[in-house]
Amino acid sequence: MSVTKNSGGKALDVLKTLPRITLANLRPEPGSKKADKRRGRGQHGGNRSGRGHKGERQRGTRPRLGFEGGQTPFYLVIPKYGFNEGHSRRPQYQPLTLKRLQYLIDLGRVDPTQPIDLTQLVNARGVTIQPLKRDYGVQLVDEGADIFAAKINIEVQRASEGAIAAIERNGGVITTSFYDPISLGILIKPVCFFMRGQPIPRRMLPAENMVPYYVSAENRGYLADPEEIQQARRALAQKYGYALPDISKDELYHMLAMRKDVRQIFFGLSPGWVVNMAEKKILKPTDEKLLKYYSS
Amino acid sequence: MQKMSGCFTLHTAVLRGALRGASSLQNRARTGPAAAAGLRLASSAAPREGKAAIIESTEEYKFVERLIPASRVPEPPKHAGPAPSGWIPPAETPPALPYMIRRSRMHNVPVYTDLTHGNRKMTLVRKVEGDIWALEKDVREYLKEVTGKELPTQVNEVTMTLKVKGHFDQELKDWLTSKGF
Repeated sequence: MSVTKNSGGKALDVLKTLPRITLANLRPEPGSKKADKRRGRGQHGGNRSGRGHKGERQRGTRPRLGFEGGQTPFYLVIPKYGFNEGHSRRPQYQPLTLKRLQYLIDLGRVDPTQPIDLTQLVNARGVTIQPLKRDYGVQLVDEGADIFAAKINIEVQRASEGAIAAIERNGGVITTSFYDPISLGILIKPVCFFMRGQPIPRRMLPAENMVPYYVSAENRGYLADPEEIQQARRALAQKYGYALPDISKDELYHMLAMRKDVRQIFFGLSPGWVVNMAEKKILKPTDEKLLKYYSS
Repeated sequence: MQKMSGCFTLHTAVLRGALRGASSLQNRARTGPAAAAGLRLASSAAPREGKAAIIESTEEYKFVERLIPASRVPEPPKHAGPAPSGWIPPAETPPALPYMIRRSRMHNVPVYTDLTHGNRKMTLVRKVEGDIWALEKDVREYLKEVTGKELPTQVNEVTMTLKVKGHFDQELKDWLTSKGF
């Protein structure tokens, strides 16, 4: 190895040859210590000590900040408007750029040969979701759409049109689906949930105001009609000017076509099952009423 | 009952079922959870019938294993040249220079920008091994070519880091990757 570790280096060698450090040898770096400004100590005793001549300035009785001498101040003239009203009731979506997604795939943190879920993204530490801060999931943003080159089956909560086009152009599949806050908390930390020993709950359907988003085929919603989605794929390809690749002839078609059921949180695991991680077993109910409830 | 719908054609049936389920959910809400809770209490009180109320299975456990996060940072796959995202892997053999700059644990070049007091810009090069003064000389000359200015630098031999005044993280990253670090 041409490279040797020399901790301390030349400074330590020089220090060993110099005389012993004492209080007499120490001095601060020139220019590091600046003398404080002390008011009222100038020529002729400082006189007014930098306070000016008479009035509120010298006597220190100036009015509050914002006061304009009696004229209605600026901060009262402007009327109130509810810009932030209800901010804590608005759903938020953590953005994920296509550039970052491509970076995660390139570094092997996200596996493109398996369906990409929010769990996979969080396990790869690609995004951080805080369900308690009104986060309802992740949104795909089309920054980096021109460099994106990966064929993936991805499921997000919201996606911009450009992002959908970029993924479908590379022969991938994108779905937008809804997770209610409890299901989201379970989705991002599955191990913590399995340790609780509770059965996997059903995912709730979206609220009234979100149903139009997830039913429309343009957003690739999980509640949309598959035929409409095919038409929307063709229309988007025409709009953005690329040839839509035929994924049914792909070798990974089985993986690309994998989609979760409307009430399912995890791939391959049904609601109602209990996972025993210590003994690596899954416990399934057999009672009719429970099965009927969980399959509804 | 496995719920993994693999085909698009099955989806419409499930969709209609789900919407029907959603509309009648309000009617069932009062009876469903209450009945389920009653059943759960009955089964935990005394297993009178003796029938196994639970099936144990290990076949679907592979889906659980997919959900467990990795405990170590994975090795990046082999790329011939730069990756599509712009990430450049380190060279196979380290360059023949008196110094070496290791990659961070996330396999990136350890050059960072710093901003203190709102206006003090610095660039920090970390994880230096070997002759740090040779690196400092090369960095000074390179930045003199790029910017035309004599930039102050600071070498910390104990932590083996190099600080440069100003934000030059992109230039230094490109320069270090071109050298093969």
